[in-house]
Amino acid sequence: MSIYTNPELMIEAKDLYRSFGAKDAVSGISFSVRRGEIFGLLGPNGAGKTTTIRMLTGQIDPSKGYASVAGYDVVKGRQRLKECIGVVFEDQNLYERLSARQNLEFSCQLYGLPARRADEVLEIVRLRDRAKDPIRTFSNGMRQRVMIARALLHNPDVLFLDEPSRGLDPLAAREVRQMIAQLSQQGMTILLTTHLMEEADQLCQRVAFIVNGKIVANDTPRNLKLSHGKRTLTVTLGSQNGASTLSERALNMDDPTDQAQLAQWVRLGMVRAVHSNEATLEEVFMEVAGVRLA
Amino acid sequence: MHIRSILAVARKDTLDILANKSTLFSLLSLIGVAVLFLFINSLLGTHTTEVLIYDPGNSGVEKVISTEFTNTHFTSAGSSGDVSAAFGPNGTHKSTPYALGIVVPANFVSSLRSGGHPQINLYVNGDQINNIDRQIVVQLLTGYARSIVNPQPATIALATINPTTTTVIGDLGGMYTAVAILMSFITGISIIPNLLIEEKEKKTLRMLMVSPATFTDVILGKLLVGLGFQLLLSLIIASILKGFNGNIPVLLLFIALGACFSLALGLLAGCIFQTMSAAGGFIGIMSILYVASSIFVGPLGVLLGGGLIAQVLRALPTYYIAQGAYEAVQNLSTPGSVLLDGGIVLGCTVVVLAAAVWALRRQAAVAATI
Repeated sequence: MSIYTNPELMIEAKDLYRSFGAKDAVSGISFSVRRGEIFGLLGPNGAGKTTTIRMLTGQIDPSKGYASVAGYDVVKGRQRLKECIGVVFEDQNLYERLSARQNLEFSCQLYGLPARRADEVLEIVRLRDRAKDPIRTFSNGMRQRVMIARALLHNPDVLFLDEPSRGLDPLAAREVRQMIAQLSQQGMTILLTTHLMEEADQLCQRVAFIVNGKIVANDTPRNLKLSHGKRTLTVTLGSQNGASTLSERALNMDDPTDQAQLAQWVRLGMVRAVHSNEATLEEVFMEVAGVRLA
Repeated sequence: MHIRSILAVARKDTLDILANKSTLFSLLSLIGVAVLFLFINSLLGTHTTEVLIYDPGNSGVEKVISTEFTNTHFTSAGSSGDVSAAFGPNGTHKSTPYALGIVVPANFVSSLRSGGHPQINLYVNGDQINNIDRQIVVQLLTGYARSIVNPQPATIALATINPTTTTVIGDLGGMYTAVAILMSFITGISIIPNLLIEEKEKKTLRMLMVSPATFTDVILGKLLVGLGFQLLLSLIIASILKGFNGNIPVLLLFIALGACFSLALGLLAGCIFQTMSAAGGFIGIMSILYVASSIFVGPLGVLLGGGLIAQVLRALPTYYIAQGAYEAVQNLSTPGSVLLDGGIVLGCTVVVLAAAVWALRRQAAVAATI
């Protein structure tokens, strides 16, 4: 039974808690993800990202609070919820002795899909030519693509990606990111967890910083950088007498002293070039969360 | 419970087992052991079977007997009285060089064809022919008569001399069959935990838990695969070792009971242990108990006596599976023994299954967190 409060909200978490024994892994987080959005849960290892995904995908029950995905309560509507979600796990949990096609055909059978769907998704992740090879012969990047293919088999409404580029070389990670961007363009709602800020900055329309089981910030990457990061300029200066020696200075745009200094250099005709430097998401994270990413 | 998911899990696990060389090797090695037992048995049993036969009509009985008993020497008797004199009536104790005596009526074939019920007199020397071979001879003669006219028109009158004196060597054949069938049950206690623990270790269980399959579906799928491989292997081994020459329904009953007990035990192990190495120790101990139980059943058990080990083994259900299978193979089963042995095994299976279900319920609650 669907319990949509707002059909545009594909994920809703309200005051969600989960504890393991005496330890609170997630402590009262609330957020929502709109249809077609890529939402990033960012935080260091052990922050509660994976626990949040497990609650949202019906793998574990929340200790307290409420969450719905694709309109289904993650506890009461678990069985229906499973039909609407795809999950790419942090661990590469494929059947290593089976071929890529056999792995996918197994999932096809679980979802009641025709076996030819396996070949269709293998085509999407560009592994059709390796369909018959056992997974154990695949590189990490190829395995990750098979995992994505498996999650896409049943055309889920919401895709959960837990550290999708973990352990991948830069080229493979780039391929995976391109694939995620394509899926988003096709209208799929994606929640991804990562501790790679650059990845989140490239992919996510909105991000939430999670630290010690709590969300400490939730906004678009740009807004977060504008509201929390230091805006700086790198100014390339020439000398007043027209000599060819150049020097570079960094100025804080929010500092009145630096603003006056820049104005003076402009009046004196010393400014050869100006580059604005936006704060990185990682710097913003460190400022907001007060911790470094692992 | 979803049939679709159960079958999907069963198919995937079957493919996985067939792709797993070490599992496949251990399964095939059990068949290898059965073949080895057959070879040893044939070596121990390599002696000339002396047959005294009176067959004035030259029926095909000689040919039929010689196909099963390769080292057979036939001596033609001058009359049916010579044969009966060489053996004597049923149950007597008498020394004779002959293992078998056969009297075939002169008009045996024509009598059969004309709708008669001719009688073959079969004399068996219990000193040289064990229970399995006796059954084989009876079946060969019955089969021959059927090949002429169907349904069974001939009567076999059986007389066994020296019936209480059986050689250990002769009865080892039955013990080998029981040992091999018991060994085949190791499949159940090893396949199920292997399949279950591997899903936990490789974290593929998490994937299953976010699919439409429930934890119950996953377990039932694995049990289906375990049962399939278990029964297939037990039946192949029983066939190789001529186990079906005894009491077939009782043997099938004990194969089914043994399979159920082993699968329940395997399920319990799969739930309790989280790693293959931990489960490996348990499987090893259970394998030893299975083999030991079957050794202490039958003539070797009598020779080894009723020491402490035998007493301990008799307290285990594996002993009763072995005893039931052995008696079925030797055609020694009685309704009472079947009821007792079968009842004990069934009761123990229910207890182990209840423990496994309890462990499963706990496991299901944490399946996704593993």
